[in-house]
Amino acid sequence: MISWTARAGLVGLSIVVIVTAAAHFIAPHDPARQFPDLAFAPPMLPRVLDNAGHLHRPFIYPIRLVDRLEHRFVEDRSARVTLEWLTSGRLVTTPEGSSPWLLLGADALGRDVFARMLRGAQMSLGVSVVAAALALTLGALLGALAGFVGGKWDAALMRLADFVVVLPIIYVVIVLRATMPLVLSSSQVFWTMTVVLGVAGWPFPARGVRAVIALERKKEYAEAAQAMGAGWLRILLRHLLPAAQGFLAVQATLLLPMFILAEATLSYVGFGFAEPTPSWGVMLHEAAEAGVLSEAPWLLAPAAGIVMSVLCLQLVSEGSTQVSEREGVTH
Amino acid sequence: MRSGFRRYLFRRVGFALLLIFAVSSASLLLARLAPSDDVFAVDRVILAAERHRLGLDKPLLEQYLDWLGRTLRFDFGESLRFRRPVAELIRERAGRTALLGFSALALATLVGIPLGVFTGSRPSGLLTSTVRLTSIVVLSMPSLVTSLVLLLLAARTGWFPAGGLPTISDGTGTLQSIFIVGRYLFLPALALALPMAAALERLQSRAIRDSLTEPCIVAALARGVPRQRVIWRHAFRLGLKTVLAIYGIMIGTALGGSFVVEIVMAWRGLGDLMYQALQSRDLYLVAGCAAAGSCGLAFGILLSDVALAAIDPRVEDVV
Amino acid sequence: MAGKLPKSLAVIAIVVAIGLATYFARRAPKIGPATAPSSGTAAATAPVRGGELLASLRAEPATHNRYVDYSAPGEVLALLTHATLVRVDRTTDTLEPWLAESWTESPDHLAYTLKLRQGVLFSDGTPFTSADVLFSFRALYDPRIKSPLANDTLVNGKPLHIEAPDPATVIVRLPSLFAPGLRLVEGVPILPRHRLERALTEGKFNDAWSATTPVTEIAGLGPFVLVEHASGERLVVARNPHYWRKDAAGVALPYLDKLTVVFASQASEALKLQAGEIDLMTNADIRSDDYAAFKRAADQGRVRLIDGGLGLDPNLLWFNLTAVHAKEPASRLFQQKAFRQAVSCIVDRQAIVNTVYLGAAVPIYGPVTPANRTWFADVRPACEHDPIRARELLAAAGLADRNGDGVLEDASGKTARFSILTQAESIRARVVAVLQEQLRQAGIAVDIVPLDQGALFARFAKGDFDAIYYGIQSSAIDPALSPGFWLSSGDYHFWNRNQKAPATEWERRIDDLMRQQAETFNVEERRRLFTEVQRIFVEEMPAIYFVTPKVTLAVSARVVNPQPAPQIPQLLWSADSLATRR
Repeated sequence: MISWTARAGLVGLSIVVIVTAAAHFIAPHDPARQFPDLAFAPPMLPRVLDNAGHLHRPFIYPIRLVDRLEHRFVEDRSARVTLEWLTSGRLVTTPEGSSPWLLLGADALGRDVFARMLRGAQMSLGVSVVAAALALTLGALLGALAGFVGGKWDAALMRLADFVVVLPIIYVVIVLRATMPLVLSSSQVFWTMTVVLGVAGWPFPARGVRAVIALERKKEYAEAAQAMGAGWLRILLRHLLPAAQGFLAVQATLLLPMFILAEATLSYVGFGFAEPTPSWGVMLHEAAEAGVLSEAPWLLAPAAGIVMSVLCLQLVSEGSTQVSEREGVTH
Repeated sequence: MRSGFRRYLFRRVGFALLLIFAVSSASLLLARLAPSDDVFAVDRVILAAERHRLGLDKPLLEQYLDWLGRTLRFDFGESLRFRRPVAELIRERAGRTALLGFSALALATLVGIPLGVFTGSRPSGLLTSTVRLTSIVVLSMPSLVTSLVLLLLAARTGWFPAGGLPTISDGTGTLQSIFIVGRYLFLPALALALPMAAALERLQSRAIRDSLTEPCIVAALARGVPRQRVIWRHAFRLGLKTVLAIYGIMIGTALGGSFVVEIVMAWRGLGDLMYQALQSRDLYLVAGCAAAGSCGLAFGILLSDVALAAIDPRVEDVV
Repeated sequence: MAGKLPKSLAVIAIVVAIGLATYFARRAPKIGPATAPSSGTAAATAPVRGGELLASLRAEPATHNRYVDYSAPGEVLALLTHATLVRVDRTTDTLEPWLAESWTESPDHLAYTLKLRQGVLFSDGTPFTSADVLFSFRALYDPRIKSPLANDTLVNGKPLHIEAPDPATVIVRLPSLFAPGLRLVEGVPILPRHRLERALTEGKFNDAWSATTPVTEIAGLGPFVLVEHASGERLVVARNPHYWRKDAAGVALPYLDKLTVVFASQASEALKLQAGEIDLMTNADIRSDDYAAFKRAADQGRVRLIDGGLGLDPNLLWFNLTAVHAKEPASRLFQQKAFRQAVSCIVDRQAIVNTVYLGAAVPIYGPVTPANRTWFADVRPACEHDPIRARELLAAAGLADRNGDGVLEDASGKTARFSILTQAESIRARVVAVLQEQLRQAGIAVDIVPLDQGALFARFAKGDFDAIYYGIQSSAIDPALSPGFWLSSGDYHFWNRNQKAPATEWERRIDDLMRQQAETFNVEERRRLFTEVQRIFVEEMPAIYFVTPKVTLAVSARVVNPQPAPQIPQLLWSADSLATRR
């Protein structure tokens, strides 16, 4: 029934969602914490085998600074730091005072890239999900209205949709942001971005919903309901909108990647979240700006986060498109 | 039918013009609302003089009407930051963006279409799966990611210049100049082209697969016409329509994508100019860039509408 | 189909994953034995005439008229295409003859008689005379022009008086005693009267030589002439055939036929230099981040690293102490000396050195760094870094964590919070991120606002900020040449600019001391007075200094005869003696 790709996508998505939601628990360190001696430290792999080939509980070899300026580090093979599980409210961490565990290395300020990436996921994905929900709701309502009422309203709404679709979103947000106060808290940034993206995204679902509704309205059951004297709102909500459900689900998988990218781009160009709140765009910006991309490729980890989330969404949407094609559903 | 098409065309052109107008005036007004206007001088007296010279001290409505009147004559005012006419700056930069965009489009076509025909005509096999998986992965990489990754590769390998514009000295021959420009252009164009190529591959592949089930193709195959010929002669043509229709949208994508690629790769085009203009609150430059950008977008939309209408006469009735 | 696909997909995915994993496992952890540092041996090649070099510049000059452009790109363009009456040799900090080949000082130190070099021609072939000097200073002080350069050429707010008794002689009269003397005119390029006089009379001088003026209309006395300015791309300057200077062997300078200056961001210029696409950067110092990559390029012989000593113009965190801002809650904190001292005391400067500068910096406490050998005094605040002492200071400022949320509040319950504006995409932004974290641990909330340079200036000019972390480059070593910073009436008295009368007692003290030392001709006495100024500054802390970098300069292996100076532009200040391998 569900294709293999869609299933893989769904599994991937679930993992992303769970990890993001539990970021505080999963991250081994505080994302804001700076380890002054570990700027640009390379990723540290967890191990179970030591030098001599003996098996241990998962541990890491701490790294030691050799040359700060050339950011060279050596692994200290003489001491093992055993990972501690489920202590101090974290899934896994290292004891305070010993070497931190930097799964994806450290950034220019010696902060844990992995922890920041998880925290960034909350920001980036959070904005995208809420904005998508907003866009879908707005789109479904306006689209249904247009399709149901028809006539002048329909024409006006669809012209407006045409117009909003071609507005360069990124650009609108940038100009909007520029008109706002300089110091915005993270939550203010979050909601501003969400609302703007949501408002910019409604025409995509609206167009399709309108088409579906316009089609369904002419079908027998709708006409029958109308003949039986059901109110128009009732017909719309109870009979017609459910027909657009499948379409809306597919739209969600299309809008989300768009918004993830929009957030990343906005933050990248400096109109999104600000220090110390990491978002994927902010982190990518720091990576590109550091000028050490070739020295510290692990700073691009958020790019992998973006690709993975979008990929999972692609797989789901691709899979569901194939299924609906096979089942002969049109949208 | 022909007159219907012409009427449709008129309507779309009208819409495109309206779009350009609305976007650029909206951005002028919005940028004007921004709390600080910034002139590159610390001295207050100079600041006031500059503002007066550029008409920034007039009331908003008057400023807007001024700007509108001049815009109709293709005069976008003067940039505060560069102290040069906006139209001139945009002309310079638009050329580079167009070069980047069209190279990317060409690159995407050259890679995406043949691959799509290949995967579409051969639904299984290791190679097809590889292409398909690659394309889905690449499709998940926005140009922001591709340009950063390519930048990383360039910095590590040194095969290509890591961003920036080529400098061509006077004595260089034409052929060599093209080679130099090509070297600098390649990475940004590739970063922009990769997602587009993947999209084209997917689309073309689907189109070929669909057309292979069309009666005429099945009949041709049954008559014993060689499969390769059927695919390239007939199925390809059948599928071309849907793919052609997407090009207009691609122009829009290319414009949006080039905004990011230009910033990351320091390709000094329109996107980069707009970024600088926004950063320094260069009012007229912002509006000018917006107008230029929406021109490109409107052109793309117009193209795709017309292509669609030309291919499928039903479109007129629906819209 | 769906059944067949997964297997092959899985195979590919695994192969790709293994490939990536091995690649990064091989490349990622840069672990290896420490190699002996070898900073690329400077081949002592004698400079020869001819050839060209490529340089980079981070911003673009908005005009070609130095008199109305105070920006760094404006200064670079002026250094390349114009000449001044006298010059300070920045490597030795001594005043040397330039367009004036010699001068005499009157016994009362109030008049200098300059003998102009004979036979000097502008780049268009017109002879240079004292009339050009007269014209230049007339333009400089013209009230319609409001040249920002004029501010640097005033003594106690009064202009110099210039006379030209004959075509080869210029007399510079000072309105009052001023110890640095002719150093005042070191930054004033001499302009061609025949080219600009009409614009000045017609009141169009500010628009003359704009970025759109054809470059052929520009003429100068500098080593190069501007031949191309492609907006957003590059400036090209070519040898000035009429340049007057010759090297010790009698070879006509400049050595270079041509110098191309491309516009590039800080990140991309470093990459370009490593890749050999450019030969030098106008801001020739490399970022600590880039050191490793440059070191590798140097080991491969592609670039040369030069030790540039300590940085001369450190960044500073200044508080908005203006009366206009006084109503803001942040300002109520700033007004208290104890709070300012506490901020300095909280910050672990060594942590900034270690993380942001990767060890290539030293802690400092005041505006004058050890790089300024003549004027530096090692004065330190009572508390260099001591969390316990900092807490006492904060308590003295009325701050305590009253509700146990980890953030300090004042008596009325207002949280201790302020914003710091800083330049986006720079090492400054990173220093501020460290400050933010360190202050957070001490219970002070900081919001960082990264801004474009222009927007930052605009905010600063309007006084619309809490605190700013930034730095201004200045070519002046002598403190008397920076009245804008030290005097309460100054434009660059960042924390409270252009005061009519000193707002505080200590600012009055500094004003007095600075005036006194500017009029004193005994160097020892001047130094004693200036040390007292630095002591007051460090005690009052209207602005906090944290670190100054250990500068490393990088040039490509093609650059011959560089003369590194501590000021920016470290190499282009003497562009006429730069040469390249042929």
